[in-house]
Amino acid sequence: MALFMTSTLTIAALASAEKMLNAALRYDPATRIGLAQLEGKILAVQITAPALTFFVMPMDDELRLMGNWEGDVDTRITGSLLALAQLSQTETHNLKDSGVTVMGDLSLLADLQRLMKNLDIDWEEMLSQFTGDIIGHQTAQMIRAKFGWAKDRAKSAQRLTGEFLTEELKILPGKPELDDFYHQVDDLRLAVDRAAARVEKIIREKSNP
Amino acid sequence: MNDKKTTHFGFQEVPVEEKAERVAEVFHSVAAKYDVMNDLMSGGVHRLWKRFTIEASGVRAGHKVLDIAGGTGDLSYQFAKLVGANGQVILADINASMLGVGRDRLTDRGIAGNINFAQCDAQFLPFPDNTFDCITIAFGLRNVTDKDMALRSMQRVLKPGGRLLVLEFSKPQSEILSKIYDTYSFKVLPFMGKLVTNDAESYRYLAESIRMHPDQQTLKDMMDNAGFVRTEFHNMTGGIVALHKGIKP
Repeated sequence: MALFMTSTLTIAALASAEKMLNAALRYDPATRIGLAQLEGKILAVQITAPALTFFVMPMDDELRLMGNWEGDVDTRITGSLLALAQLSQTETHNLKDSGVTVMGDLSLLADLQRLMKNLDIDWEEMLSQFTGDIIGHQTAQMIRAKFGWAKDRAKSAQRLTGEFLTEELKILPGKPELDDFYHQVDDLRLAVDRAAARVEKIIREKSNP
Repeated sequence: MNDKKTTHFGFQEVPVEEKAERVAEVFHSVAAKYDVMNDLMSGGVHRLWKRFTIEASGVRAGHKVLDIAGGTGDLSYQFAKLVGANGQVILADINASMLGVGRDRLTDRGIAGNINFAQCDAQFLPFPDNTFDCITIAFGLRNVTDKDMALRSMQRVLKPGGRLLVLEFSKPQSEILSKIYDTYSFKVLPFMGKLVTNDAESYRYLAESIRMHPDQQTLKDMMDNAGFVRTEFHNMTGGIVALHKGIKP
């Protein structure tokens, strides 16, 4: 019984996520056109912790999120929720040491990642349906300005915080210092490896004179 | 002694030849507000049950799908999108009022070209053998007079390897849920029916017909007897609804 409830709840959660995603897509025609080109492809997302698998299918310039899929899958991405969330936040496609594994067509994942990053909601179209064109346009301008400002502030705040911690408080090392430290660690590791090899050689020579 | 064959219509016994007509009356009466009532009665959960059915169908581009008792077209809408321009969906219903509502709704939502409509009886499907990749019947089998005959008819028109999905009310798996469900169906449901469609009787029939419908295992056995293989069922919402699946060998 718990299983059935979980499965109904999972379907409900996926349905609700799909609705939100497609509501955002409705006002972003560029991304919808991009999605239409991926129609029929299936991405399986397998979350290991907490255990959940769902399938993403671009269909009819929208995205479908499904709890079950019995056909072939183009791409399967596996990892913990944390690892997958981190990956979605980074620009890189390098999966080494990310805790995420990908099987199948890597380009589908890259395309979806790019499209989702570009998801730019057309506030004007959405608002004008409720308020009419003129008020919709003005309100949308305000939202864009606020969002743009907020994005800039978030970026510069991140940079300023970093600078403050490294340069002013000196509680975090700067990048050049870190790089130097990493080099030293690498040199030390190589020296230790060499020493270990030499010790092993001496032991071998001693035991087989 | 009366040897006239009878069948159940809700809790009543009626002559076999009368059942289809009486079921038709019920659905003529509720057709216009069928969707509103479904949302009200199930609290919107019927959308999740149908969503699960679509996911279990394995339908994809180019497939031919028959949606029996498709009513207002909820499943057909999704199937038409899935099969694409090269596939075909047939929305079938025995009831002209329900089919009319479904056809108008799908046309209004821009579904055209890969969908056809057929008014037909599930017991005597007017299609050639081995035609469909998938057949669904959602909340329809319990209204069919001879369910075994309908299952055999579906088996005939499915392609080998094709699948039948039966979404239907079933038997709740816990006693407590069963009691709550009984009170709900026999007290609350007809009352809501009266309020929304001014027709308590039709909704009383719906509740009664659900109780008379075979439980999970019995329906699975019936599917086996009709010639389906790898039959299985999946309970949803504690067994209030079950999705049965069978494959034509």
